[in-house]
Amino acid sequence: MKILVADDSRVMRQIVIRTLRQAGYDDHDIVEAEDGADALAKVTSEKPDLVLSDWNMPNMTGIECLQAMRASGSAVPFGFVTSEGSAEMREKAANAGALFLIAKPFTADTFNEHLDGVIA
Amino acid sequence: MTAYLDTGDRRRSADAPPRIADLIDEATIQSIAEEAWSALVGEDEYLVPLPGDPLVDAVSSWVEVVGPWTGTVVITTARATAAELSRCLLKEHAPPVLDDEDVDDALGELANVVGGNVKAVLPGPSSLGLPEVGTAPEAGTDVCRVDLLWRGQSLTISVQDSAGVLTEQNNQQKNEVPL
Repeated sequence: MKILVADDSRVMRQIVIRTLRQAGYDDHDIVEAEDGADALAKVTSEKPDLVLSDWNMPNMTGIECLQAMRASGSAVPFGFVTSEGSAEMREKAANAGALFLIAKPFTADTFNEHLDGVIA
Repeated sequence: MTAYLDTGDRRRSADAPPRIADLIDEATIQSIAEEAWSALVGEDEYLVPLPGDPLVDAVSSWVEVVGPWTGTVVITTARATAAELSRCLLKEHAPPVLDDEDVDDALGELANVVGGNVKAVLPGPSSLGLPEVGTAPEAGTDVCRVDLLWRGQSLTISVQDSAGVLTEQNNQQKNEVPL
């Protein structure tokens, strides 16, 4: 399985990748994207099986990336990993087609809770 | 029949932006920071609510919150402490010599996570800006600040209004013509 991790912070991308491994998802290929536009391009070029994306990013936000993916017909499973977890944002994420929203800070248990049903 | 003189005080009071002291307290800010530290910096990393020595070579990271309450959430510490925090966040991926970009990225991400959780406590709807790093933006008079020690080093977290915004609002109020 290939997982695309999108975050404009390199440090946070490392933390997300480390947490994936701590949660037991350590035998998957990881691809990194540094903003929403990069993620959108890599959804096409890398064909990931899952996208984990930040919300607030320069160039293109995570929600804009998801909306563009769905508008282009991509049904790749998509989840947010973001510092904001308000009910309003969770609703907006779900309406756009996101499977889940993980609020930062998170733990390996949080990843298991949301990803066990997604990552076989 | 009594005629009441409308001085505009009641209207101005109702129009005034909420004060941060009415929206969040020091204990809540510390609790948010402790959760972020435990998850990102390390499970055994603690923040002690004590003021430390004055900062030398200080650096700040912050995120802006725009909504019913508008201002910034600011983390300030010494650059050496910020570098130590960066190593903790990067763990095995920390290079032998950290560059400024890594330190700014790590400190900015801490402000992003703390700011996002502070925003969740404040009245909405509001939006969160991207993290910035540098010399802390000037605060106005509406500030909730916690002084902490991490590994014995000073670190402060402020939820503060923008001096510019408040001045503009004050000017607007001063310029109002009483009815």
